[in-house]
Amino acid sequence: MTDRPNARELATAVREFLETEILPALSDQRLRFRTLVAMNALSIVERESPEPSPPDPVDAELARRIRAGDVRGDDLETLRQRVREKLLLASPGYLDRYTDES
Amino acid sequence: MKEALEAALGVPVLDAVQLAGGASKEAWAVDTADGRELLVRRAGGGVIHEGTLSLRDEFEVLVSAREAGVKVPEPVAYLGEVEGREAFVMELVHGETIGRRIVKSPPALLSLEMADELAKIHSIAVERVPVLRDADPFEVFYAELDSVEEAHPPIELGLRWARERIPLERPRVVSHGDFRLGNLVVNASGLVAVLDWEFSHVSDPAEDVAWPIVRAWRFGRDELRLGGIGEVEPYLDRYAELTGRLIPLDELYAWEVFGNCKWAIGALRQGRRHLRGEDRSVEFAILGRLAAEMEYEILDLIDRAA
Repeated sequence: MTDRPNARELATAVREFLETEILPALSDQRLRFRTLVAMNALSIVERESPEPSPPDPVDAELARRIRAGDVRGDDLETLRQRVREKLLLASPGYLDRYTDES
Repeated sequence: MKEALEAALGVPVLDAVQLAGGASKEAWAVDTADGRELLVRRAGGGVIHEGTLSLRDEFEVLVSAREAGVKVPEPVAYLGEVEGREAFVMELVHGETIGRRIVKSPPALLSLEMADELAKIHSIAVERVPVLRDADPFEVFYAELDSVEEAHPPIELGLRWARERIPLERPRVVSHGDFRLGNLVVNASGLVAVLDWEFSHVSDPAEDVAWPIVRAWRFGRDELRLGGIGEVEPYLDRYAELTGRLIPLDELYAWEVFGNCKWAIGALRQGRRHLRGEDRSVEFAILGRLAAEMEYEILDLIDRAA
């Protein structure tokens, strides 16, 4: 379970960045060639990575219940575990900022 | 662009350079033949939040802030459309705006100067700027969260927790809407100018006071709760002394949770700007994933309060 953009969509974003912003700024033929190769590599990552998954039913139910005012004792810990899993992919270094705090 | 600026400004332009930064607006440093250094602020593609001010309205707010004695660049003129996008021109102010650099050696009195500027901003008469939106902040951000079309229970918990602890009973004021490091020009002697008024609106003053406390705006110096540059208490005391408005620490804490919800939602909406093709950019795309940082902070703040 990840938020969007997923890996495939991020690879697309980077490939488009190389194509529209980096390539036009390069005059060195060797760097132009390598950038085209990098774009090709990213397009393989795009085709090989899954489409974004459908909305997570657990998150949808938790969100609906909390918005309705029904907050339960173990919600905080459940949510923290789920966010931690997201951060281990998206920004693992961020979690270190909490380790020296009690 | 140079020719368009010459036509809009009515003077020959010697040089026009686009500056880095700015998530939704362009900034151009312009030298004119009559020896002035100007900054042209021009619309980009798309906006982060609903209710973001047009350049025309932002210019009006800047003029009002200047009248109230707030340190802002001198507003020069609203230009209308420049090459298809609206723009205004103001004085170019020199100094540092990069948060990561400022927190390394902040000027000694910066915390107090921030309180001083907020006090002046909050003294602008609400009637002076009728274009500003006056809405329930929770309604606004629930609507923005819904626009993301992705479930985020930690943000739901944060909004609910904050709503139960924020009375919203103070008289409402003109607020800056994005008052934090990054939008302040600072030099060695202190605060030079307050920039980026596009999110200005009418609100409880505590919303502005709490915003620079949000962890994302501490630029890595997490131990200094006020923007990575100082402790909260002297800043809060100075603000109270100047305005007579007392914001209890526990209410400020609830606004801090709300601030994290706001930035989490803002980051998710930036991600959508990319995904929906309004503004394709790696920088916006990745913010969709970094919203999880603010979610973690929301949960940590709620846990610590227990």
